Amino acid sequence: MSSTMLPNRSKTSVLVFLLPPLLLYGIAVLFPIVQSLFLSFFSWDGITDLRFVGFDNYARMFVGDDVFWTAFSNSLGYLVICLVLQLGGALVVASLLISLRRGRELVKTLYLLPAVISTVAIAFLFQRIYSLEPTGLLNQLLQWVGLGELQQAWLSNVDTVLAAVSIPEGWRFTGLYMLIIYAALLAVPQELEEAARLDGANWWQVFTKIRFPYIRPVWITTTIIAATYALRGFDIPYLLTNGGPGQASELLTTYMYKTAFTHTDYGYASTISVFIVVECLIAVGLIILLLRRKADA
Amino acid sequence: MTTHTAIAPPSTTMTTPVERDRMPQRRRRRLDLHRTLASVIVTLIVIVQVYPLAWLFLTSLRTEQDFASGNPFALPTELTLDNYARAFATGNLGLNIVNSLVVTLGANLFIVLLGMMAAYAIQVLGFRLSRVVRALFLIGIIVPVQIALVPLFIDYSSVNLLDTYLSMIIPLAGFALPMSVYLFSSFYEYIPRETYEAASIDGAGPYRIFGQITFPLSVNTIVTIVLVNSIFIWNDFIFANTFVLSDELKTIPLGLQNYIGAMGNVDWTATFAAVCITITPLLLVFLVLNKAMIYGLESGATKG
Repeated sequence: MSSTMLPNRSKTSVLVFLLPPLLLYGIAVLFPIVQSLFLSFFSWDGITDLRFVGFDNYARMFVGDDVFWTAFSNSLGYLVICLVLQLGGALVVASLLISLRRGRELVKTLYLLPAVISTVAIAFLFQRIYSLEPTGLLNQLLQWVGLGELQQAWLSNVDTVLAAVSIPEGWRFTGLYMLIIYAALLAVPQELEEAARLDGANWWQVFTKIRFPYIRPVWITTTIIAATYALRGFDIPYLLTNGGPGQASELLTTYMYKTAFTHTDYGYASTISVFIVVECLIAVGLIILLLRRKADA
Repeated sequence: MTTHTAIAPPSTTMTTPVERDRMPQRRRRRLDLHRTLASVIVTLIVIVQVYPLAWLFLTSLRTEQDFASGNPFALPTELTLDNYARAFATGNLGLNIVNSLVVTLGANLFIVLLGMMAAYAIQVLGFRLSRVVRALFLIGIIVPVQIALVPLFIDYSSVNLLDTYLSMIIPLAGFALPMSVYLFSSFYEYIPRETYEAASIDGAGPYRIFGQITFPLSVNTIVTIVLVNSIFIWNDFIFANTFVLSDELKTIPLGLQNYIGAMGNVDWTATFAAVCITITPLLLVFLVLNKAMIYGLESGATKG
């Protein structure tokens, strides 16, 4: 299957081209995965000797650590909000954009703009948007539309903080996913849609019976990218609230980071990071399973 | 671009005359309504999407008193560049920008060169386990970066790499490599076998073919990969925050963060001025090259 395009290439030339990239990939990605797996069975503070503890770290994580479970359910909430904003928003805007005659390029550029801005700057920005004293954009807006009693410090309220730290992440990348879905929608043959419309199909039927099945492969890829990115989300919660107040916006990633670099508990931190990887793999498996099965039905 | 709508005569804005003749009156009117509604909604969404950025920029031009007392939606009463002067005086912005440039260029060099080499070995040279190696790289696309923080921190401290440019470049390039390998190899699939056969008959070896055929053909893919990765690398926070300690090596995200601490009481207008300064280089590149980038993103995504 993997036949060469160059009949007279040598074995050495393959190695010359393959080894440098494998070396970097090994050092930065593959070897750290193995190291984390190894460390997850040890207790280590970085100074004293490694102590083998078997499955103790895993037992502690699954049974003895409430913060872990809080962080896990927060991560799922963060994932859901990001997916709704990024994929839902992307699909809506891309579908609307398709029906526009002009200004498509401008909309694409403007919509992508937040993706260019660093998370630190975004954290500053949203700190001001959510601010109560002095009145930030959001609270001012609420007052204007007559919902003044809803005004609050969004980042200090345990009920709103998780949504408040998730929304900036959803906001900043929705343009990226919109572009991808827009490109996929452009490839849907117009004749098919026209034919369906002439047969009296409404827009919802056109969407579910023609457009969506057509873009399903791209939708699966996009969902996988968005989900794995949301599960590794870290910067904005870390910068905006550092997981607080209490553990109300603690994600697995911020919890792992603090365990490693504040409490220098490298063994347990590695256990959590192994869990984050497993969680991503499971998420990808589930997405493929769910979206494929619907295709068969 | 949107201004055209206002200028164009109303009768031809939405549908072409040919379409009009074919369509019954009622359907046509419904379609027009549909389009108008769509443009209104899109405009609203774009405003929500872009407004915070406009506000950020306006705030950087406000006087401090205006910002402290004012309604956040109001236009500035007077424009001032004082904030920019204070931003430069307090922070270390120049150095931060240079550091970000070094890291972005260094990481991109690895991502492009090593990505092309791996894709060339897998797709063009071919070898027995090429599918396994390709799969190994593909897995990397979904591996979260957090897995590498603790191991790399430990490895770096044992080989004295902590607090260096390389400590940021290695993981930034390593985690971007899978996508780069994937994009290059899907592109190399489309280079016809005959191109290589002709060169082989002329006696060119694998190294010369890489330099004289594969590399020049890859330029478009290189532009896409560099643009997309630059956004992520320029803004990287997690690796820089974990591996860099000294002020001389701080990149823009760290510099910005430091900024606030250094001033104790947060000087928001100056901080937003600093944010505007650090966004500008990337924003200019993005606005100039966004056609190339959007094209690359769209084609890269739909091919797979």
